[in-house]
Amino acid sequence: MGYKTEWLRGIFPALVTPFKTGDHTASIIDEAAYRELIRFVLPHVDGVVPCGTTGEFSYMTLEERKRAVEICLDEVAGRVPVVAGTGCTSTRDTLALTEWAKDAGVAAALVVAPYFLKPTFNEVYDHFRAVDEIGLPFILYNIPQCAGTHFRWWTAEGMLLDFDNTIGIKDSSGDVPFMEALFEKVKGKVSIFVGHDEVVQAALAAGADGAILASANLIPDVWQRVYRATLEGDLETAQYWQQRVQKLVRIVVRCGSTQAVKEGLCMMGLEVGDSRHPVVPGGAFRREDRDELRLQLELSGVDKIKKAPVTLDLGHKQVETEVFSTPQTPRTISGFTLKVGEGFAGPPFTELAHVDLLLGRKDGPVGRAIERSMAGWGEERGLRIINERPRTLLVPTVTLRTAKQRRLFYEHAAEGVNLAIRLSIEDGFLPEEILDDVVLIVNAFVHPAASIAKRVDFNNYKATRYAIRKALEGRPTVEELINEKAAARHPFRYAP
Amino acid sequence: MPKKLPWLKGVFPALVTPFVRKTEEVDEEAYRRLIRACLPHVDGLVTSGTTGEFPYLNRGEQRRLVEIGLEEAQGKPVIAGCGASSTQEAMALARDAKEAGASAALIVTPYFLHPSDKGIYQHYYDIATHVDLPIILYNIPQVMDAYLPRTVVEDLADLPNVVALKDSSGNLTYTMELLEYAGDRMDFFVGHDEVVLPALAGGVSGVILASAQVYPEVWQEVIRLLGEGQVDEARALQRNVQKLSRIFCRYGGGVAVKAALKLMGLDMGPPRRPLKSVGGALIHETRAEIRLELEKLGKIPVEETPFEYPSVPLTERFGDLEITPDIIAAHGLRVGCGVAGEGLDKVQIDLIAGGKQTPLGDAYALQLTYPLHGREALTTILEPALTVRPATLLLPVLPQKNLRQANMIYGPTQSALARAIVDALEAGDIPRAAVEDEVMVALATVHPRALDRHALHQSVHAAASQALAQAFA
Repeated sequence: MGYKTEWLRGIFPALVTPFKTGDHTASIIDEAAYRELIRFVLPHVDGVVPCGTTGEFSYMTLEERKRAVEICLDEVAGRVPVVAGTGCTSTRDTLALTEWAKDAGVAAALVVAPYFLKPTFNEVYDHFRAVDEIGLPFILYNIPQCAGTHFRWWTAEGMLLDFDNTIGIKDSSGDVPFMEALFEKVKGKVSIFVGHDEVVQAALAAGADGAILASANLIPDVWQRVYRATLEGDLETAQYWQQRVQKLVRIVVRCGSTQAVKEGLCMMGLEVGDSRHPVVPGGAFRREDRDELRLQLELSGVDKIKKAPVTLDLGHKQVETEVFSTPQTPRTISGFTLKVGEGFAGPPFTELAHVDLLLGRKDGPVGRAIERSMAGWGEERGLRIINERPRTLLVPTVTLRTAKQRRLFYEHAAEGVNLAIRLSIEDGFLPEEILDDVVLIVNAFVHPAASIAKRVDFNNYKATRYAIRKALEGRPTVEELINEKAAARHPFRYAP
Repeated sequence: MPKKLPWLKGVFPALVTPFVRKTEEVDEEAYRRLIRACLPHVDGLVTSGTTGEFPYLNRGEQRRLVEIGLEEAQGKPVIAGCGASSTQEAMALARDAKEAGASAALIVTPYFLHPSDKGIYQHYYDIATHVDLPIILYNIPQVMDAYLPRTVVEDLADLPNVVALKDSSGNLTYTMELLEYAGDRMDFFVGHDEVVLPALAGGVSGVILASAQVYPEVWQEVIRLLGEGQVDEARALQRNVQKLSRIFCRYGGGVAVKAALKLMGLDMGPPRRPLKSVGGALIHETRAEIRLELEKLGKIPVEETPFEYPSVPLTERFGDLEITPDIIAAHGLRVGCGVAGEGLDKVQIDLIAGGKQTPLGDAYALQLTYPLHGREALTTILEPALTVRPATLLLPVLPQKNLRQANMIYGPTQSALARAIVDALEAGDIPRAAVEDEVMVALATVHPRALDRHALHQSVHAAASQALAQAFA
């Protein structure tokens, strides 16, 4: 019969494994970065999980997984329990790695359901029974999104109660009815952990003992607040923080978790590198997700990306400002003759926004283009000045044919663009001192089949806000272009 | 009743149901026109199927469609779509069809509340034993969210008036399994336009298709050729209609068929709401693609647009940007030209690059304030949110008359231009200093009837690489 431990409760980050950047065909674990990450999360967590799904265990050799666990044990030095991911697709490898982990001194093993060849329930059961015989306490791990098999409550119950060394289950499915069945069957007998970042507060409130989370690399302190508040019965506070980070964790869970967490950490100054291939930058974690994740990490209360001073060199004058900075943010920004920024936001397809933005000095090509167009063809071709500080010209990229399209463009897309400008002024990218010196041309479009006004507004807001930052920060860089060229997928390149 | 009906084979169009604009009433005259147009090439008709928007039709309307079908069919059989969620309603529809004189009832798997396999069996059993009409079972998991279970079909095949099954799944493993278990007792029809030839080769007796009201003669010919063992010729025909068949199956169904018919001069009106004529499942870009495919099949005349590739001296080709040979000389602007490809795939790229503070910087900004209808300049991107550097505008030389032509420019042309630029950056042909200090404009001349996106991509990449090499030599 499985049992419940005192220590298996609270917030455990599923640590990413940092890899050294450079040649992606021969990357190695970046030990220094791994130790730095562990030191970053340690004050806020009740334990750590090396080599989980977020740790890219499936892209690591057994030797690398052992090394990662060793580094983790060494850096943690007994301050919190270390739960090592030891699951493999074959029983043979799983047993070898779990045996090793027992000798290495981990507190427990997190063993994923054997995956890929989709073994049947009784094959899965016997796999875990073999693990049980090793004698190391272990946690069953249900993650149907990746493993392709979803435990049924009766198999989970059998494995949790029939075996001697099961101390818990981690359920990453996000399937709340499944979790409720677990509470009904095994609550109090083993620890029940939630592994789906979008339902943490709901699961804790319903009775989960803790959470093992990808996003706990980024925001361990926020999750600790949710956990503590729930323990104290303060549901309102717990709900507040879950909702505050809901968008952030939705991006992490649904948009390429490993790469999302890693890029988030890099933006926070923890250089953990990229995921191993075939996960690629701009893949499941799209560039618009990156831009949005950055905004979410800046939120007050989350406070993971902070403001830093930046000099804007306009040529005739220099302006000091403070902006939310990542290591990519230049300390001095010049070249205000003409800057180009592009922003993209969706879905849905018919309401997506694609903004081409020019930012430049009023007395340069951008300013001259605005004055000349408004003195000439501006009205006839549907151009509008939608803001005076900075002077902003909104241009329809595609001819607006219907009254509905015009309304969506001039009311809703324009409102989104203006919101982006207001917030860029507030967050320092467009400081007060340059608003009379620079001007913007914003090319936006509304698809002929667009319907949902709120999405047109919001997507144009997001696309414009991203475009302003990219224009100023000079993104994408030449290096990004060269790295990402081969895998780039232009959406309109292919026939239906 | 004999289990194998001699007439139950060949080509049957799943007719759309025409509606009057605004009122959404059934347009009977349009229905007659449609039937007359396709009748010479079909072996029978199918009324109020999925393509005919049956879930939006009431019982009286469905019966009326059968009556019109019989009036116009000149003795060819009419199969009445009698699909309904409840057994009682499906049975009523089948009775109506029997009374009107239909040859068979096509009855879809009961849907929405997801009945069990026992419930599905009972549904067909009740209808078959209460209505004296040949029954055709109908599997279409794309809209029903469930397959008609094979074991249920196997048992239903024992009923004397269950004569056939239409499989629209496109899943040939399913079709083959049914043929294995019930092929001796009933006929099978393929209902998925993309797999007609393999299904026929596998043993189905005929086709019930949305596309059989647009190009029924193609399917008749495929059946004839296959019967004569001319497999290569049959393959060529199937391949020639593959894209349009795919559009009908996946990107709009009956709505896409109506769009095609309208282009052919048979206006069947809008679908009933909530479907949209365009902008829903059928997007504007795909509608433009339908036109091109119909041109290819000879269903509508080709729109010939006379045009020429620019041939004045290179430095004189940038007049749209207000850049003259004198300005090019005075500011040391870089120019280059590349030409690649043959016939419809021939592309010319005329490229100009230079400092942001030169008149080219002004031209760049000005282009983005000057939405010339059909010639809108766009920033060159590898994909959304991956803008190339130096910042480059792509400006089509010929006006784009429809979204498909625009798609050729803003899809394959833009993608290939972007790749050529990043290739040149990677090779060091474009100096790093130019990345911040310069902008570029690429004028692209693409054949208005360019069709093959892959070939176009290759041509643009080659032409743009030549132009960049010349400009940055």
